[in-house]
Amino acid sequence: MPRQDRNPRRLLGILMMLLFFGFALLPIAWALILSFRPASHLFEPIWQSPTMLTLENFRSLLRSDFPHALLNSLVTAGTSTVLAMLIGVPGGFALAKGRSQKRFIASWALLLLRMAPPVGFVIPLFLIYLNIGLLDTWLGLIAAYMVLTLPLVVWSSWTSLAQIPDELIEASLLDGASLFQSLVKVVIPAARPGLIATGVLAFLIAWNDFFFALIITRGNTVTAPVSVMNFVSYASVDWGSIALASVVLTLPTLPVIIFANKYIVQSMGGAVKG
Amino acid sequence: MLLPAVLAVGIFAIIPLIGMFALSLTDFHLIKKWDQDIGFHNFVKLYNNKRFIASVEVMLLLSVFGVFFQVVMGTLIAVGLEKIIPRWRFMRGIFVVPFVVPAVAVALIWLSLLTPTLSPINDFFELFNITVPPFLTTQYGAITAIVIADTWASYPFVMLLILAALQGISSDLDEAAALDGATKIQIFFKITLPLLIPALLMVALFRFIETLKHFPLIYIMTKGGPGRSTQATNYFAYIQTFQNSNVSYGAAIAVFLFLFAAIISFFVARANARINDA
Repeated sequence: MPRQDRNPRRLLGILMMLLFFGFALLPIAWALILSFRPASHLFEPIWQSPTMLTLENFRSLLRSDFPHALLNSLVTAGTSTVLAMLIGVPGGFALAKGRSQKRFIASWALLLLRMAPPVGFVIPLFLIYLNIGLLDTWLGLIAAYMVLTLPLVVWSSWTSLAQIPDELIEASLLDGASLFQSLVKVVIPAARPGLIATGVLAFLIAWNDFFFALIITRGNTVTAPVSVMNFVSYASVDWGSIALASVVLTLPTLPVIIFANKYIVQSMGGAVKG
Repeated sequence: MLLPAVLAVGIFAIIPLIGMFALSLTDFHLIKKWDQDIGFHNFVKLYNNKRFIASVEVMLLLSVFGVFFQVVMGTLIAVGLEKIIPRWRFMRGIFVVPFVVPAVAVALIWLSLLTPTLSPINDFFELFNITVPPFLTTQYGAITAIVIADTWASYPFVMLLILAALQGISSDLDEAAALDGATKIQIFFKITLPLLIPALLMVALFRFIETLKHFPLIYIMTKGGPGRSTQATNYFAYIQTFQNSNVSYGAAIAVFLFLFAAIISFFVARANARINDA
């Protein structure tokens, strides 16, 4: 349609996309610029001293407890993801291929667990942890993150595994494999891309958490998102370090974009098949 | 093979939830250590609490406006990617970027953009002697600020789901209508949009639930202020429990939010079952 390409309406459409493009990316560009701005030039317009850039924010970040908090985040989000996958994928398999009549209840329960207010989980967890000494421990935080990761993993592996043809499973069962062997040797390899996306999303959700860590961690196991708040004090706000920490926090989540088009849809919504 | 998952959900999720319900029926206070069963008294107190009612209003305000702008923007970008610049496929990845920025970083980036002394937006408009109205220090400004930050972070979710739905719509219909002389705008409103409605409803419900849970944005950008003007219900529960030590009262608010989520997730699950059966 070459004639329509020169339509002024199309120009308007491109303009609209350009505006959205700016809205989407300028805040990120700003965060990157801010990460390299020295404290002395923070409050003047960027075009007055565009070359005043510095690495001093890196030094202040390395001096703070942010690196240790990153380690805490990595360990707790990583462990809870691995555990949720080990427990959740067989569950998703059973729901996808079993003959259970309780699928509706299961899907409602899983959705509800993902949608339930975190404050409802955190209040009892806080009291339990207070009494059994799990506050400010890796173990306590990992257990809390299971609340976030497990329902997502079951739900999302359910939708992934439902697409594996029944014949594949039946064939391996006829060859004398047990149901579990069939899952490990045949089904999981066949569904690998979807399951990898599931794991990445589960990690993302735990990694991004702020609320659970704010309540049940203190100095020792504070996670990176909570630790960023140390750069905000009543006296002053260390904007450069905050921006840099925000950028660092975002880096591990970038791979999600690769999976975004195909798998986030099935994992997050699971509902819209078009 | 379902058993480990059921057990784990039971331990990690159901036990805390039972705790939440049990606590909501007592008058447990973290410092005063009362612990008596008082039945539904907390809920009666909530019903009569003007601050609670105001928090529900703030919550709904944030949700309705947030979801509206996210859905409109996400849909426009999805349709634009598909119909205006279909050959620029890498743009899809670029438009997803805000979605993977952690909520804390979203809040801090927008806090920096809306802090007048720091923000390049203010600097830019001052070149033309225009003063940008302060966002975070006025009631509706603060609500707008949270809606903007949430829209920025969440439109890609809408965009991805609508893109998937668009790809499921056969192009035969478009072409037939184009042969009949319909313009692209007519085709969008008469054919594409009606076919997108189920997906739009689903996405709006999903986002609605998520916006009810706002926490990092409020905690970091406004602290519930100015005054109590951005103290949404979820944040109100946090304040009651962890600042005022009114644990049971906070649990009662959590129960209220939980029941709200239960109703909406029921409709999502039912719609989902219907789509999967069809």
